[in-house]
Amino acid sequence: MIKIKPEEIKILSSYIYNLSGISIDASKAYLLETRFGKLLEEEGCKSYSEFYHKAKSNSGGKLEKKIIDAITTNETLFFRDTNPFDLLKFKILPDLMDARSAKGTRAGNTQLKIWSSACSTGQEIYSVAIVLKELFGPSGGPKVSLVGTDLSDAAVAQASAGTYNKFEIERGLPREKLQRYFTMAGNNWKIKDEIRAMASFRRMNLMQPFMGLGKFDIIFCRNVAIYFTLPDRKKLFNKIADVLEPDGYLIIGSTESLTGVCPRFVPKRHLRSVYYQLS
Amino acid sequence: MANLSILVVDDDPVTRALLTKRLANEDYTVETVENGLLAVDRLGQQFYDVVLTDLMMPGGVDGIGVLEAAKRINIKTEVILITAHASINNAIEAMKKGAVDYLQKPINFDELFLRLDKIRNLKMLIKNASDLREAMDVTEKTSAETIQDLEIMVADMNQRLTAVKTALAKTDIDAESRIRLVMQALETASPS
Repeated sequence: MIKIKPEEIKILSSYIYNLSGISIDASKAYLLETRFGKLLEEEGCKSYSEFYHKAKSNSGGKLEKKIIDAITTNETLFFRDTNPFDLLKFKILPDLMDARSAKGTRAGNTQLKIWSSACSTGQEIYSVAIVLKELFGPSGGPKVSLVGTDLSDAAVAQASAGTYNKFEIERGLPREKLQRYFTMAGNNWKIKDEIRAMASFRRMNLMQPFMGLGKFDIIFCRNVAIYFTLPDRKKLFNKIADVLEPDGYLIIGSTESLTGVCPRFVPKRHLRSVYYQLS
Repeated sequence: MANLSILVVDDDPVTRALLTKRLANEDYTVETVENGLLAVDRLGQQFYDVVLTDLMMPGGVDGIGVLEAAKRINIKTEVILITAHASINNAIEAMKKGAVDYLQKPINFDELFLRLDKIRNLKMLIKNASDLREAMDVTEKTSAETIQDLEIMVADMNQRLTAVKTALAKTDIDAESRIRLVMQALETASPS
């Protein structure tokens, strides 16, 4: 395997930071080798400098996309941590429906916008869709718009296809939900059209300004800010606060904290879950 | 990891004896049965890491039957088929049904040991990965509880401090009244 030199670590980390906001310090140089080793060989590059120059010379090109796909962590599973989905079902959705009906909007006319801001391969947003389906049944309930965004083209493409292999499907998904909401497609499982149709996906870099998103009632931003520096995390949650409805809800990763990150959010507890609302 | 447990299925007593001897010499745990029917029965009673089965056997259950039963009973059992040269196409069919490998007769033992080593390494990797995942889940769960408790606690303390600050800033009342207000702010039950 080709070894990365200290000066190459610097150049490559700063290139990756500019592309994705992902911060890799020198102590994590091994990450560059394990994630890019194969790509380097595929591209026939003799060194990391050559690899960097090749990618850099074609901005927005294929290699740049491959680099993003390789450096992003797509660890995800259906109903990850369980608690946020119980929170959604038993607290957030009923409360939002109540708040909207108090404003005189009938259930059928209520529109709920939900955003999975680092949707990876789609498991989070489809879990949300399944919760909505089970809570409101086939008819009735609010109009919902589920939006999934991710930095990685490959992840967005898989989310959009809604197809999962047996290892992905085994994680977190109870058997009865698998049978009810998925169909077998060769060796894979595909999400049924009724669920697929509830969500839309697109590529988005959370480091850049949020354009044309509108406002959301519920935002999931779980386990992505952990890869960013503190100043970038501050900027990110500030932008999220800007696109959250005044009575909206923010859910972050179970081991994440907004203390010292964004004072505009207040943490609140419901049973075993913590969620955030604008102060 | 303990050495692999292997079930040998073959109707030929000489092959059974030879395999038993060579595998036991390499410290594998070996058991043998003489037909497919007995193999299915045995697989129902006990878990084996690997089944080494002849493809063509007399009686109702051949090697493919053993393979299908083994995978149905426990997906983690790996099946290696032993085949005569003439039945290689059948062996390839068997691979499609989930057999991990096939060996041609006469058995080359170096080849067999290499395959078994590979299976053992793969099983170890899978075990490591699932151990790691489990450890990560436990760590994540306990740290999530701590972090979430702290998050609520800090927010609560901030709220009290703001109330204290407001009380202290009330210059229109005397010091004693301000202290009383401060005490009130500090003693108010936590909102959560």
